[in-house]
This record gives sequence, C-alpha cells and structure tokens, in this order.
Amino acid sequence: MAHAFRLDGHDHELWLSRSGSVYQVHVGDTCVPATLTARGAHVHELTVRDISERVVIACRGDDVHVHLDGETYLLRYSHSLERFAGQATDEAEAIARAPMPGAVISIAVESGASVRRGQALLIIESMKMETTITAPCDGTVQTLHLHVGQTFDSDAALVTLERLKEAP
Amino acid sequence: MKRIDSALDTRSAEFQANRQHNLALAEMLRQQQAAVRHERPARDMERLERQNKLFVRDRLQRLLDPGTPFLELSTLAANMEYDGEVPGAGIVTGIGIVSGREVMVHASDASVKGGAWYPLSVKKIVRATDIAVENRLPMVHLCDSAGGFLPLQAELFADRHFGGRIFRNQAILSKMGVPQLAVVLGHCTAGGAYVPALSDYSVIVRGNGAIFLGGPPLVKAATGEEVSADELGGCDLHTRVSGTADYPASNEFEAFAIARDVVAQWKRPTKAEVEWQEPEAPFYDASELYGIVPRDIKVQFDMREVIARMVDGSRFHEYQPAYATTLVCGFAHLWGYKIGILANNGVLFNESAQKGAHFIQLCNQNRTPLVFLQNITGFMVGRDYEKRGITKDGAKMIMAVAGSEVPKFTVICNGSFGAGNYGMSGRAFDPRFLFMWPQSQISVMGAEQAANVLADVKLRQLARTGAQLTAEEIAAIRDPVVADYKRQSSALYSTSRLWDDGILDPVDTRNALGIAISAALNAPIAAPSYGVFRV
Amino acid sequence: MRHEWPFGSVLIANRGEIALRIVRSVQRLGLRAVVVYHAIDAGAPAVARADQSIEIHGSTPVAAYLDGTQIIAAAARAGAGAIHPGYGFLSENAGFARACREAGLVFVGPAPEVIEKMGDKVTARAFVARGGFPVAPSAIEDDDPGSFIERARAVGFPLLIKPAAGGGGKGMRIVRDPALLASEIERARSEGQRYFGDGRLYAEVFVENPRHIEVQVLGDAHGNVVHLHERECSVQRRFQKIVEETPSPALTPDLRREICAAAAGIARNANYTNAGTVEFIYGDGKFYFLEMNTRLQVEHPVTEQVLGIDLVEQQLRVAAGEPLAFKQDDLQPHGHAIELRIYAEDAARGYLPTTGAILVLQEPQGVGVRVDSGIRAGQDVSAAFDPMLAKLIVHAPTRDAAIALGRQALHDYVLLGCKTNIGFLARLLGHPAFAAGEIHTGFLDAHPEVAAEPIVEPAILHKLLAVAALTSRPLRDAADAVPALHAAIGAWRN
Repeated sequence: MAHAFRLDGHDHELWLSRSGSVYQVHVGDTCVPATLTARGAHVHELTVRDISERVVIACRGDDVHVHLDGETYLLRYSHSLERFAGQATDEAEAIARAPMPGAVISIAVESGASVRRGQALLIIESMKMETTITAPCDGTVQTLHLHVGQTFDSDAALVTLERLKEAP
Repeated sequence: MKRIDSALDTRSAEFQANRQHNLALAEMLRQQQAAVRHERPARDMERLERQNKLFVRDRLQRLLDPGTPFLELSTLAANMEYDGEVPGAGIVTGIGIVSGREVMVHASDASVKGGAWYPLSVKKIVRATDIAVENRLPMVHLCDSAGGFLPLQAELFADRHFGGRIFRNQAILSKMGVPQLAVVLGHCTAGGAYVPALSDYSVIVRGNGAIFLGGPPLVKAATGEEVSADELGGCDLHTRVSGTADYPASNEFEAFAIARDVVAQWKRPTKAEVEWQEPEAPFYDASELYGIVPRDIKVQFDMREVIARMVDGSRFHEYQPAYATTLVCGFAHLWGYKIGILANNGVLFNESAQKGAHFIQLCNQNRTPLVFLQNITGFMVGRDYEKRGITKDGAKMIMAVAGSEVPKFTVICNGSFGAGNYGMSGRAFDPRFLFMWPQSQISVMGAEQAANVLADVKLRQLARTGAQLTAEEIAAIRDPVVADYKRQSSALYSTSRLWDDGILDPVDTRNALGIAISAALNAPIAAPSYGVFRV
Repeated sequence: MRHEWPFGSVLIANRGEIALRIVRSVQRLGLRAVVVYHAIDAGAPAVARADQSIEIHGSTPVAAYLDGTQIIAAAARAGAGAIHPGYGFLSENAGFARACREAGLVFVGPAPEVIEKMGDKVTARAFVARGGFPVAPSAIEDDDPGSFIERARAVGFPLLIKPAAGGGGKGMRIVRDPALLASEIERARSEGQRYFGDGRLYAEVFVENPRHIEVQVLGDAHGNVVHLHERECSVQRRFQKIVEETPSPALTPDLRREICAAAAGIARNANYTNAGTVEFIYGDGKFYFLEMNTRLQVEHPVTEQVLGIDLVEQQLRVAAGEPLAFKQDDLQPHGHAIELRIYAEDAARGYLPTTGAILVLQEPQGVGVRVDSGIRAGQDVSAAFDPMLAKLIVHAPTRDAAIALGRQALHDYVLLGCKTNIGFLARLLGHPAFAAGEIHTGFLDAHPEVAAEPIVEPAILHKLLAVAALTSRPLRDAADAVPALHAAIGAWRN
C-alpha cells in the first residue's frame, strides 16, 4: 500500500479511502469505517466500529502523537519514496552520528586530518557520562559539524569523513 | 422520470431455467478469467522470482489506488489463438485510478512468453492507445517485453494499425497534451524502446530495466561489439548520461512509489459537462438479469426489464413510447450521468430506424451520452419494406450514429446480426467502449440462417446432378456449418480477436458503463454534424 | 499575626519545576519572588509567574546557573535580600553560600561551614563515624593517595567509587571485576573533575540490592533540630531516583525510630540549620550512613503531603531567624505519599534522554494528586539540562490506595511531543513486586520487563492507524483525490 506509519520500529502499511462523507481505513485485508470528531484543544472522539473513545492528538509535520487509554504513542509517517529506496550509490562518505542527545565536550581531530577506523574523533557528554565517538572507517575528516559546547539531538551528524578508497 | 414497472415473474419456470443457465455461464466466465489472470506454470513464476521481478498482478496492485475499481479490458484476448498459450495476449490493459487520476494502464505480462508481443498483443496495445486518444486518458505503461514475436512478424509489423500505430498514438496523445508515464521494469527493445522514449515521464529499475534499439545479441551481430544489457541501455546510463529516462529506481517497489508520485503531479483534466445528479442504486436487483436473458437466442425478451436493472432508481423516461416499439428509446441516469438508451425489442422496421435516427439527434442536441443495448437480428426484409424504403431508413440511422459527437457505449446483450449491428453502433462506428455478454453472438446472420443458406446452395448444386439426399446427409452438410458458425460468432471468439473490449458478467455492466462514461468525459464533446440523410 | 520578614524579596537561583515551586511559596508568604533565567528558559512557567526575572548568561546554559557572581549581582539589582538555591547547581556550594553572606544576602540553606563539612563525602563520613553512627566500610583517597587503589581493593567487591565532592548520583561507578578497578577509578576521577571541579575519590562497599532510606531534617538557628520522618527512594536508574515514598514499606516501627533518631542526632551534632537530608543504605536489617545533602531534595513533596507542611516556607522562616514552630512530637505523618519523577527519556532504550517540543500538556488533578511541574505546552525540551520535567505526587490513606491513585493519575497524564517515562512509571506501579513493597536499588535491573516497551496489541494498533490516517494530510489528500464515482464503486473488478 502506498502509505505507512512507523510504530514500535515497524512500518505498518495503510490506506484511507472515502465514500461520500465516510472515511474508511484499509489495513491489510481489513477495511473499517472510522471517524474522528474534534472536541476541542487536541481532544477528539474516535469512532471505530461503533465504539467511541476519547483520544488526544497532536501533529508535528507528518508525525502523529496520540494519547489513548493512558498510553502515549508516536506514529511517524514513512514516505514510500524513502521506505523503498535502495542503498545510496554514493558510498564515498561516512558520517559519524550521535547515539543520543547531548553536548560536545572536546574535539580530537581537525578538518583534513587522516584517521583510522576506531580512532577517537570527539567526546560528547550525555546522561552525566562521557562517550567517545570514533571513526567508522579509515578516511579523512571532511567536515566537523559542531563546535565545543554545542548541543545536538539523537542521530545528529557529528563528523563527515571521506572514505579512504581501498587499494585495488 | 418514472420508475419502470417490472412485469417480470421471477418465480416462473422460464425465469428459473434462464437464471440457472446464465449463472453457469457467468461462473464459467469468472473461472476462465481467473485462470487467464492468475494461473501460470510454476517455472514461469519461478523465473520471475529469480529475475527479481514482480508478477504483473502484483505490479498493478502497487500502482493503483487501493479501494478503487479497475475496469480490465479484453481479459480473454487470444483465448482461441496460439494454442491458448498466450493468456490475455500477454498484456493487461484497463482503466484504473492512480493517485486519484483516471488512467489507462498498459502492462506487459512477463510471465507469458517473456512478455513477447504477438499480433494480438499488438492489437490489444493499439486498442488501449486508441481508447486513450479518443477519450484523452493519461496512460501508464508498465514495460517488460522481450520484443515482437518474430515468427509472426508479418502480422504485427508493417500495416497501418500494427506495431507502429502504438507509437503514433503515443505521439498524438502527447500532441493533445495528455501525459504518459512509462515504468521500465524489464527490457524495452527495438520498437518497444519507443514506449518510454515517447512517454513524457519514465522510471527505470536498476538491474532489470533496459532501453535499447538493438539488444546485445543484435549489436554483436551487427558490429561485433560485446556489451551487457545494463551497459548498453541500463538505468544509470539512461538516467545519468543519455537522459532517455527520468527517474532511477533501485527496485520495483521504489519504482512504483516514484510512479505514483509522478502521476500525483499531473493536472486533473476539465471534464466535459453533461447532466448529472446524485447516483441511486437500481430499484430492482441486478441479479435478476440472469433470469431475463433467454437460453435460446431466438426467444425475445423485453429490454425494459434489462434497463430497469441497470439504471439509477430503475427510472426511465421513454421517448415515443407508442411508436416503433421494436426499438426502445429513452433517458435514464447511470451512476448519476444522464444517458440516452437505444435498446432492441425485436427486428428493426422502417419506423424503428427512423425513431433511432431521430432520438440520436435529440441526444446530441442535449449533450447526452448514448448507450446502445443490442439484441438485433437485423432489419426487416421483404418487398413491402423495401418499397417503403427500409434500406434508406437503415442508412439514416447509420448516418446519425456516425455523425454523433456525444460519446457512445455499446453492450451486445444478446444477438448482433447483420446491418443491425451497424445501426446500433457496432465496433466500426467508434463507440468509446464495446462490451459483450457471455451468451451473446455476433455475425453477419444467425448460425441457423447461415447454415440454411449454405446448405441450400449445396443442395441445389446436388439437385442439378439429380442426387437425392437423406435427412442424415442433409444434416451432415448443415451441422458442421452450424457448429463452425456458432464458434465464430461466440462472444469468446469475438473477444479473442479483440472485436470487443471484453466480456462482462451482466451484473457488472452498470459499474463498467459508469467507469466508461467517466473516462469518456475527459474528451470534449463537439457540436454534432451529420452527412446527408436520405429522407 | 503579621510576620515581619528581614527581606522583602527572595531571588530563586534555579530553574524548572523547583523554581516555580519556590516562587509559589515565596509569593504565598507575601514576599516578592525574583527569578534568574538563561535565554533557553525564557518561556518557563517560573519566569512567567515570578514578580521579576533577570536574564543570566553563560558559555552553556548550565554554566549560567552556576555563575554565582552573576547571580549575586542580579540579586543586588533586584533588591532581593535572600537567595534560595533550590537543589543541584549552587545549592551545596559553600563558596557561593559564603559569597552571599559577604554580600549581605541571606542564603536560604545551612551555614557555609556546615555545607563544607557535610558536603564533602569524605569528611562527612569521618564526622558521622566519630559521632558513633553506623557507616559502611570504605577507603578514602585523601588518607593516602598512593595506597588508594590497594585500600579500595581491600574493602572488597562489589565496590562503589564516588567523587568526594559529588552528589546526585553523578560520577559514581560500581566495580565488580577487580581487573577493571584502575580504569574505572580514572573515569570517575575525570567526571568528578568535570562536574564538581574536584577529582578526589572515595571507595565504599556496595551493598547488593540495598534499599535507599533517607530522613528529612530541619534545624533552626536556635539549636532546635527535628526530623520529619523518612523517605524510601530505592527505585533508581543510573543511581538517580525515579520513585520516592513515605513511609518506607521496609521498616519496622523500631527501625524507623532508630534511623530517624540517628539522622536527627547527626544533624544536631553538625549544628545543622535549615533543611537537609541524611541518606542511609539499608539492607538485611542493617543501615549505614551514606551521605548528607545540605539542601532541599527533589523528593521533599512526599514529606510535605504526609505532614501537611510547606518545607520551603520552613526554610524561609529558619533563614529569617525564626525558631521552629513545632516540636518532634508534633510531627505525626498521616497516610502514604508517593512521588513519581516524570523524565524526558526512553526507558526501553537504556533511558536515553529524549527531546522534542511539548505539543500537548494535560496534567492530572484531583484530591490527593499534586503535580510540581516546570514545563508548559509549547516548550522545547532540549538536551541542555537534566531530563526531569515534573514530579507527580499522590497521597492516600494507605500504600495500596496511593498506588491506585498514582496509576489513575498516570493514566490521565497527557504529554505529547516528547517521549517520557510515564508509561514506564505506570508499568512500575502495576508490578506485583512493587505493590508488595519488595523494592531495592537493583529493582529495575532485576525486572527488565518494566522498562521494556510493551507490544502494541493488534486491536489498539488498528485504532492508532485509524487516528493517524484520519489526521495525516498525505492520507486525507490521497483519499479526497479519488473521484467520487470510483470511491463509491470501491474495490471492484470485472
């Protein structure tokens, strides 16, 4: 199906169709009419198969945050163009990314420096612990994306390396 | 409009017998179509898997909007040709919805002879592009073909409406401002290479997709150059270097995601305006159609009963209800669209032909699409009728049909014999779509009649020699003619040769016509003009 | 009886929920509340609620709140006569307390000398041991740096390495494998240097599955010291508390009396003034002094709920020179209170801090439900600070009732836009071992199912997908794009 939302690490395919004023949600082989009635300030009433319940919804971009029956969920829209994209053909770059949100404490290399796989690139601080970020491969430091003291989110690009081409 | 008052007795023995007969025919149609669409030898499906290719039905599922209808055309093409080894002629065509747009889909079925183009494959594709041109429908081509089937090249290459016509139609479609997208999922060789080249947009799958005027074997034979399919005309060459294709895709799933995104960019055409109101389901049950259509083609039935099970609310405004009653004419709504219906309730007499011609002109004045429901054995013959000008009147009806500018749709519900086919907008008169019912027959005259004529000729020949024939000997001459005739006038035969756009289960006719009318309104409706009516 | 305060305004040198909490009490007492804030906190509730707010600057947001000089200057500018340091930041910085005194400002907390003595883990420990109170076997680096590693090794394993100047769980490491001792010591030293400006360490026996019991104490400038009973804070992750409650389900009445008396005795010995907490490690019927926190603690609200007392008010009164208004026997706790810390973190992924804008915030309310919150809808949760967003405190006649009330409040707590531990807390409260009071500091490691993200049931998944489908623009646009005829015919094939 053309659309998917990511929840719990899985892509769930779905489709919405409309017949007159009634919307139907297609998931797998099921097709169920559903309505969402606004009740003010992010609160809605969701009616699926004649059962109505209170749900709180907030959107950011194409992400949908939902509070339903005491639990909170985040459904991230997964665009089909990204879902099915193959490997990027350009593997000349390697990017060291942040494993968690935090701040940069110190940077061990300069732009243009040659590094070996596993060599320390910078040290970050998060959760009151220091973590060393190492080079994912042999190569040259192309770009240092942050300076000391700067904060970043999880998965942020910290250092871009130009991969060392393997000897033929 | 008043609702048709049905006089049908659904409990009569006749109704029940017809119903049983027609249900069986519908079931047979369903099974035959299912086999043609889905049953393939295991080794062919395994080959597709090895090649990392999706089966054409899965490709269509990824292309089309879920929860929307797909009107497939000529599913049973080539069912009586090529020893039945080329189901659907190896091509799938139909009208579907992609990203909310009505499109004509043309897809190669690579599980059938590698997607090779047989003469009927070419005819099916030409027909699809003809429909696209006449109705200004955007097209999506799913290309994956081994190329023309060389042993039969004489039947698919040179003539006006053979292979070249596909590319001519593509060019004309583009000239009309109607977009086309090609998704190259396999090889596009020689002529086939023009399909993506003549499409405004093209997607090509890395590894499998290739476009070249001559494939590697041909290149090697011609110049001695040794090159792989990918190097010669693969994804990266055409999307990065030659510019022949627009979007590279790493796999078929990505290709269809891109294809849908491309179609989502197309402007929605302004539709021709015709009268329309909120649709309403027919008042009578469509499944009663099975009991209405007789088992024997010679038995007459009232077309109003058929109309009552097809149109909105079963409401019908009959035109000239008292005059020329063998041709029923009137207005109705189908899926909301107002239509003018011409339906046969017997032979065409002078008055019926005149009434038909007149009504066609009224519908053109009114910008009302025309639906022809055929059950015609022909025009009345005989001295009296000739004296009164039946040939002239038939000509008037044909003149009206041919000059008509509103879209025409024809359903051959039962018989379609002789000139009656023409007056009732047969294939030659460019109805936008033409469908047949499973039990229908189409030929220059009925099988029995033809057999009688042919046998008569033979008998007179023998009589001159003084021979006397027994009943069995007469039967021996007549019966094979009847059998042959019946075969060649069957709906299956017609659809095999693409004389129609597909056989419909009668209960599917309403939906098929609704989709057809909607598609047809993508083209503008011009003011009518006619030749000379021999008055 | 109108009260004459020696200061008209109080400057709150803190942020988040505690800043707002202190501002509220300050204003309730008829005093002016002044707040300092870094630009990143400009939209915070405390800033909006305060009578005056002054922006402070620093190379990082944290650095701003640690800049004592700037803060004292702000107090002078605002005409504030007292500074309340909250918890964390400068609250246990003797130098800052001294600077306040020298600037003629009232520091709402103990005297700098007491902060120094009790704040340094090493000296505090020694002091407590001399007083005859129980302490855990340990090795202090300062005693003889050269032999520290051997002495640490001699204490035995598992061993806890801590920065001497530390607090709040920072820089602590458990060493189980003797081979790793040297490298872990180096790490702890580096972190101690960075967080507290002091790399000295001490090592202590690590009690397996210990329970963390602490006692709230309060002393005035007239020599009166009382304890305000105990709190149990055993449910922790990375040495940080997540759930605190009072009374402790682990203690018999005798043990409770013993521990509370020990705490009061320690505070009395130290001539303790203002609010503080004495922390103990408890296991197998034995308890050892752990450390003393010379400030208001995060979890003080549970004590407030069962005693009906405003501790910030008491702090301000003591700082103003008033004698305590109650005697030890006056302090009779009623019912059971539990505090649940709401963190911006993903419990299922190693409690990784999370970020995001708070799109919707609906805090629970009702009888026995209190939310001390530092956030508001529209605020951006960033990685600049500690991930604690708010505290949910429930109070009910019994522990079971408090747990039930807590579960209901968590059910009704809506915070959308940034992943929190609310679901995790609900699973924790619902766990049978928690209900049975079988908690200890290793509880979460022993019960990984609490932190694990539960599988979403298919029925709920379908509802969520329906919500997403009906809310999402791409899906609605695609549905609306299909022509009415084809939508009405639906998935039909001929």
